Amino acid sequence: MMFTTRLLEALGRVWIGLLLSFLYLPICIMALMSFNASPFYQLPFEWTTGWYADLSRNGRLLAATWNSLQIAVFTTAIATVLGTAASIALFRYEFRGKRLLQALLFPPIAIPWLITGTAMLIFFFGVGIGRGLHAILLGHVALALPYVIVVVSARLQTFAPELEEAARSLGASQWQVTTRVTLPWIMPGVIAGGLFAFAVSFDQFVVSYFLSTPGEATLPVEIYAAIRKGFTPEINAVSTIIIGISMGLMLVTARFFKFGGEK
Amino acid sequence: MATSIRGRGGIGPALPLLTPAYLWLVVAIFLPLSAMALFSFMTELPMSGRDWSLTLEHYAAFFSSGLYVTLLWASIRLGLEVTLWCAIIGFPAAYVLARVLKGRAREAIFLLVILPFWSNGLVRIFSWAMVLREGGLLDTTLNAILPFRIDIDLMYSYPAVIIGLVHSYVPYMVLTCYLTLQAIDNALIEAARSLGASRLQTLRRVVLPLAMPGLLAGSVLIFVPVVGSFMEPRILGGRTGTFYGTVIEDQFVAVFNWPLGAALSFILLAVVLVILSLSAPILRRVQ
Amino acid sequence: MTNLLGKLAAQAVLLSVCTVSVHAAELHVLNWKGYGADEPWAVEAFEKATGHKVVNDFFNSEQEMLTKLRTNPGLYDVVMINAAFTGQALAESLIQPIDTAKIPNYADISGEKANSPMLNQDGKVYGVPWVWGLTAIAVNDKSFETSPTSISVMWDEAHKGRVVIRDDAVEAIQFGAIASGQNINDIKDMDAVKEKLTSLMPQIRTFWSSENDWNQMVASNQIDIGTYWSGSADRAKTQFNLPVSLVIPEEGAVAWLDAFSIPVGSDNVEGAEAFINYMIDPEFYVEWVTKVGAPVSANEKAVAALPEDAFNRAVMGDPKVADRIQFQAPITDEQRKEYLAIWQELKVGAQ
Repeated sequence: MMFTTRLLEALGRVWIGLLLSFLYLPICIMALMSFNASPFYQLPFEWTTGWYADLSRNGRLLAATWNSLQIAVFTTAIATVLGTAASIALFRYEFRGKRLLQALLFPPIAIPWLITGTAMLIFFFGVGIGRGLHAILLGHVALALPYVIVVVSARLQTFAPELEEAARSLGASQWQVTTRVTLPWIMPGVIAGGLFAFAVSFDQFVVSYFLSTPGEATLPVEIYAAIRKGFTPEINAVSTIIIGISMGLMLVTARFFKFGGEK
Repeated sequence: MATSIRGRGGIGPALPLLTPAYLWLVVAIFLPLSAMALFSFMTELPMSGRDWSLTLEHYAAFFSSGLYVTLLWASIRLGLEVTLWCAIIGFPAAYVLARVLKGRAREAIFLLVILPFWSNGLVRIFSWAMVLREGGLLDTTLNAILPFRIDIDLMYSYPAVIIGLVHSYVPYMVLTCYLTLQAIDNALIEAARSLGASRLQTLRRVVLPLAMPGLLAGSVLIFVPVVGSFMEPRILGGRTGTFYGTVIEDQFVAVFNWPLGAALSFILLAVVLVILSLSAPILRRVQ
Repeated sequence: MTNLLGKLAAQAVLLSVCTVSVHAAELHVLNWKGYGADEPWAVEAFEKATGHKVVNDFFNSEQEMLTKLRTNPGLYDVVMINAAFTGQALAESLIQPIDTAKIPNYADISGEKANSPMLNQDGKVYGVPWVWGLTAIAVNDKSFETSPTSISVMWDEAHKGRVVIRDDAVEAIQFGAIASGQNINDIKDMDAVKEKLTSLMPQIRTFWSSENDWNQMVASNQIDIGTYWSGSADRAKTQFNLPVSLVIPEEGAVAWLDAFSIPVGSDNVEGAEAFINYMIDPEFYVEWVTKVGAPVSANEKAVAALPEDAFNRAVMGDPKVADRIQFQAPITDEQRKEYLAIWQELKVGAQ
């Protein structure tokens, strides 16, 4: 009995190891190729740090990276707050048209971003919102919202509404119930939703592409433009730096916060 | 779940929480998409300067040629396969993360699983090309280890598309499954075991039903965008990379035929919604 | 982070206060990326000489270029348009007449190109020819002892699975027209084109979409032969030292002409004229060809300034080559849709 448990646990760890190798294989290649001299990923491998030097002189790419980071941070903050609020409402209240509201979350995910992006461009142009970072932010939050709501709702499904009722019967106000009972329980879902929102925004190129102005692009827009001609390992270099920094940040954060706590 | 305790009556009390999110969606997504929906019924786009009238021809085009039906079916199959693979790979991983690993190791590995999808999608696809092609990393490594010679050239094939898409979407499955698995009370599992249920029975009767909301959310978040995907199939699929998403893209990129492209997208949306609503009762019964 | 907030606020104010572009001395250029106009040395030289600050924006397809013009009236000052599309841009009133007297180098452009009906209407000039080139075939030198001369090599069993063709309906259909011995601008026997392309499908490794795709595949020795653009093949050889040679098949090749236009509403027409003049200048062209690799200039003096054995002068200027190339004429929207439907059908059939 004990032995089987151990064996299964060991197998589980191996499984996680395999998953991580699968996930990081292309990331490692990407990092490796940022140190390879050939712009076409040609082998044999020839060591160089030249692409990083080029990157440090590439103001356009750096500015785009900075724009992307800012947009992603704002998108994460806004989408997480609005999305969590909407999820709680959808969970807590029964009302007519609720299923419609839930179904409305799918068009932004299901319709290819190319169509959504074109539609936004035309509509924003028509009503005077125009293009630029503000338009990109508007679009990104809207694209991230459904993801946040779906993820937070999944977590809410595990929540026992009796808990809210109990708190209420003990005299807690609606606000107190939400912040002291509901939110702590769904916090892992909220954090996960935020991580999704960040990913959706940071990797989003189609919508940004249509809504960016020549001077102010985001990183994926620059990358997309670059693949047509002259895709260089500078892009691998900037991606490597981003992954490196986020990995560092994440490992530091992992020390301090508990993702869901122990059971 | 005891729904009776939840608020009854109208939408009133829910409005303050719902309005900001849905207002945002209306302005940034639904109004623009309505304009697109309108275009899908027009013979010409208003900005082309030509006369236009209302028509159903673009929707009829979907049914008149077998091409679009074939491609939509291929894309749905692709979506199902990718979702299935993500579930097979992601669910056990989420289970181990939520119920076996503890403390810092768990938090760290959890974050490591999410990190790759913060990297750029295009860069990831190009890196896969490096791995999968003949004379690429996989081919070279396997031949260095194995005593016999095999030729591995997965690039520009259907498996390459599957690998690329599973790689992009598997973190979604791990994340959503983790969220529900982590919430399961240990006492429940111990009770089931002490009552004589085998491991498999416990998994099927206790763990799976309780984890179902996460599995479903993950499946939806994977299946829905994969059906319309065009970038991964185009770059990794080569000759076999033509899917429903790529023909929609063509209507916008290769020709100025937004009406047809929009009509094809809305048909896609309708089919996806029908699939989701058809599968909902079946899945609920499983639960 | 306050940086962004500041920008957002500023943009909101600007949008509400004025609708006119705020970039007075800036010159907005819309072109393919990596296509001459955005070379750093060229931009620097132009800015130094004229004082106009160049801001480049890029498109990835002709349709996207038109959409950008439609949805950004007044933003762009110069746009690069394939001459086959100039008529469409004009029909939608996206571009304005050009005063060629302000462009001194215009006089040196070969008469047949400058007077092309695609670029002129009612005696007014709407496009200044810049460069022209071919969609021909290119080979991986490692796979051929001697370069092939016939297009039929694409169908050769020996190269099965190592042939590429661009994922573009018009290019594919016109390629099929040449392979079946037809006029690309007046395809009479579409069935012959379909038949040719259907038999080509089993040979195909993948459909390329960008220059970078082609170069990566040849760098990793995955392909032997494929359709390619003349300027790109030149660039692959000159700039990247890849084993690529362009072949102009005896059956012929598709030729295209790229031209500069000035969008309606440009607030820096003077800068636009100066920029176009600089782009067709022999000095810029020679530097572009030597440093980077380029298509053939429409300016006769610019081509004459190249060394005598230069590919763009010796081969592309060869009258025998001129005899067998066919210049692309404008294609109607209807034809384009028809071609796309045929091409999609072929691609699905290939699976």
